[in-house]
Parts: sequence; structure tokens; C-alpha cells
Amino acid sequence: MNAKPDSALTERAWEASVSSWVDGEADIRSEELDTPYGRQIWDTYHLIGDVMRSPDLAIRPTDRFYARVSAALDAEPAIVAPSPLIRRHLVRNSLSGLAVAAAVASVVWMARPFFFAPDAPPSAAPVMAQAAETDATDPGLADYMAAHQSMAGAGAVRQVSYDGMGAR
Amino acid sequence: MPAWARAGRRAGLCLALSWAAAAGAAEADPLAFLRQVQAAARTLDYAGVTVYQQGRMLQSTHLVHQVDGTGERERQEVLDGAPQECLRQNGMEQCLLPERRLIVERPAHSDHFPALLLGEGASIAKHYDWERLDRTYRVAGRECAISELRARDALRYSYRICTDLKNHLLLKAQTLDPQGRLVDQVAFSRVQFGTEIPPGALASRWNTRDWQLRTESSQPANLAARGWRFTPPPGFKPIAELTRQMGPGHAVDQMVLSDGLAAISIFIETFDPKRDQSIRQGGLRQGAINIYRMRLASYWLTAVGEVPAQTVHDLAHAVQYLPQAAH
Repeated sequence: MNAKPDSALTERAWEASVSSWVDGEADIRSEELDTPYGRQIWDTYHLIGDVMRSPDLAIRPTDRFYARVSAALDAEPAIVAPSPLIRRHLVRNSLSGLAVAAAVASVVWMARPFFFAPDAPPSAAPVMAQAAETDATDPGLADYMAAHQSMAGAGAVRQVSYDGMGAR
Repeated sequence: MPAWARAGRRAGLCLALSWAAAAGAAEADPLAFLRQVQAAARTLDYAGVTVYQQGRMLQSTHLVHQVDGTGERERQEVLDGAPQECLRQNGMEQCLLPERRLIVERPAHSDHFPALLLGEGASIAKHYDWERLDRTYRVAGRECAISELRARDALRYSYRICTDLKNHLLLKAQTLDPQGRLVDQVAFSRVQFGTEIPPGALASRWNTRDWQLRTESSQPANLAARGWRFTPPPGFKPIAELTRQMGPGHAVDQMVLSDGLAAISIFIETFDPKRDQSIRQGGLRQGAINIYRMRLASYWLTAVGEVPAQTVHDLAHAVQYLPQAAH
């Protein structure tokens, strides 16, 4: 546990969870928010929500700001930007404050499926995970099974010999 | 009537009433029934051979369990493949590995067949429906009562068990997947009780003089304080968190979750390119045990549990690491 992890992905995944807490879509883990960073994220996501609900709260920026946002979106790498074309259209053609909030929010909403999509199917549409049958001849795997069963061996008998009849 | 006689009668009546209540409760309440089965596994003297079928593996074990003035004592001798024998007493166990002339000593953390419960099992009724079938079966020459613990969702397996009609000891347990197919089973093929057990059954037949003794220890860990966040499947609660040595210089953190019957371990370790480069990510299965391995940032996660593949998959994918929360 000494190595410093590549934390960007996990951090963004956590921010996505904060977003779902704000929306009431997941059980909140309040203890995680009790840090300066956590409080800041929490406030920011609420602000985005508030602005989306009441356009009066939005500041109307200058046209130069829109131009800069537009240019920045164009320059964004395609893998993160869900669809530069649609958003350019959105930012240029709608000049209300709501549209700005929507554009910011769309990064959040669209980013979320991106972070969770690769493997985890939503529970509403269960795609059953498939697992290949193993003989567990991999001694590394046997260690994990033994470690698991030493803590929780209620249903099982000790995992020692695999049925290779000596062919191990 | 003298006062002491009245008091005695009253006490007797109370005893009779609570006895009847307990017996009645065991009929209706799954937890009372399961605790009865658990108590039988812990308090009875029994000896026999158990056969365990897990996936393609078949393994027989000679099991002796006796309770004396010092508490529970148990000897478990694996009869197939490489010889191994484990002696358990007072929360410690010693496993003898004759081929390596080695004794491994470690704390004995949990019960195993014919025990059934993990922990108190207080939330079992929320996630399993218990039904006693109105037929009996015969296992290892003993009449037993069949009952089923049916999972209420697809996150866990269901169990069909047969318990001794006379003393409630679990004689056979089958694990069934959500489609009702058998995934693994364990049963006594021969069992003796009480005075039928030959004297000296607990004594090991190995002479361990000059064998090497290795003590395996684990330290309690606090994974949340290190920035790890888990989303346990509904009904699963953490029952242990520890750091253990898997091998020389190979420390692994382990979090154990249980719903009272099934358990899942999540192992977390630093990714080591030398050791882990060839490891395949994804799912593997052996009998009822499903394994899911994946890399998260510079860590390896391994989820292992007696649950369907989807459950370990989802649990592993829901793990989050918050570097800024780590102290």
C-alpha cells in the first residue's frame, strides 16, 4: 500500500458518486464529504442543480466568454467530449443563462455513464456476468480461496487438494 | 403448600413454558432453527467422513469434533491428495503439512461444515425464505429433515439442507443457483455420535518432532481510513478487515462481508508488475465460489465469494479509492 496510485480516474468516479448523492440516486456517505475538497464538490454540484432549476440564478456572461467556451470544447479530446458538434450548436444558438448551465451540466451527466459504462451494467437491466470454470490449479488463486475460507468457511471444507489426481 | 414448593412449581412451570416457546419458535422462525443447527455443530460429539463436491473437485475429510472440559476440540484430516491435518482448539488451529514437515499455526476464525451460520445471522430472514419440506431423507444412515433457504434475489445462492431428526446436526448441504441448479454440495458419508466415537480419535497419527513451526498472523486493518470505499451488495455487512501475508513480501488487505450464510472477501494489494503482469482480469468460478479480479489504478482487487458471478463482479466494480481521504 505504499505506491502512489494514478488517482485521476478514481477521483472522477468519486465525483460522479457525489453527483448521484446530490440527485438522491444513491445512499449518501456523508463522512466522505467532510473534507475541504468534499465540501467544495458538494457545493458546486448543488449550485449546478440550482442554476438548472432557476435560470434567474445564472450570470449572463459576455459573448467573448461563449466564444472561449466554444473554442475550448472544440479543442477537447474526443474521448471525453461526448459530441462536440451538438454542444457547439447548443452553446452558439442559445444565449440564455440556462443554456450555459446545461452545457456545464451536460459534461457531468454525460461523463457519468462514461465512467461507469465499461463493465458495470445498471442493476435495472441485468446482464449476467459469466465466469469460466477453473480447476484453480493456479497456486496464487488457491491462496486467495484459502484466505477467504479461513475467515468464512461456514459452508465449505478446507481447500487443499485440487482434483488433478497428482497432475499438479 | 410450603413456600419453597410453590416457588419450585412456579419455576418449573416457567421452564416448561419457555421450553415450549423455544420449540415452537424453532418451527416458525428460520433464525431459531438455524441457531439450533449451529448449536448442534458446536456442542455435540461427532466423528465421521465428509465428502465435498465443488465444481470438478471431490474431496473427503475425516472429521472429529468433541467437547470436553477445555472446550471444543476438532481434528480434520484431508483424505485425498496431499496429506493435511488440522487440529483446532480454543480459537487456534494447527495445520500439519507432512510433505513439507511443517506445522502452520494460526487463529481459527470461523466455523465450517457442519456449522452453517456466519456470525449471528440476524438479517438472514430478510434475504432468505426458509421452508421445511414435509418429507425426510436419509444421509449417512441417519434420518434427516429437509429444509430450504431460498434466496429472495439473484445476488446470493439458495441452500437445501438436511438436518438430523434426533439431534439437528447438519448432515448434508447443497448450494443452488438462482435457476435452481446444483452448484456444490457437502455431506457426511458416515457419522458417529457420542460414545460411538473410538477413544483417541482426536490424536494425530503424525509424529511432528523436528518439524518446522510457522505462525501465521494477521493484523486488523482500517481500509476506509486508507481511502477505500465499498458498496456491499444488499444484506452483506463487513465482518472483518485485516492485513495478511500471502507470501514473502506479499502483503494483502482483506475485507470480509457476509449476509449470515454466504461470505465474500475483497483482497486489495499493490500491483506488482513482476508478479501480476500475467494475471487475467475478469471472472473465474469453482463450484459455488466465484472470483473476480481487476486492476484499479495501481492496485489489484480480487473478490472471492460463495455467491453468483454477477455479485462479485458488481462488488469489485463498485470499489472506489479516494487518495485524498487516505491519511
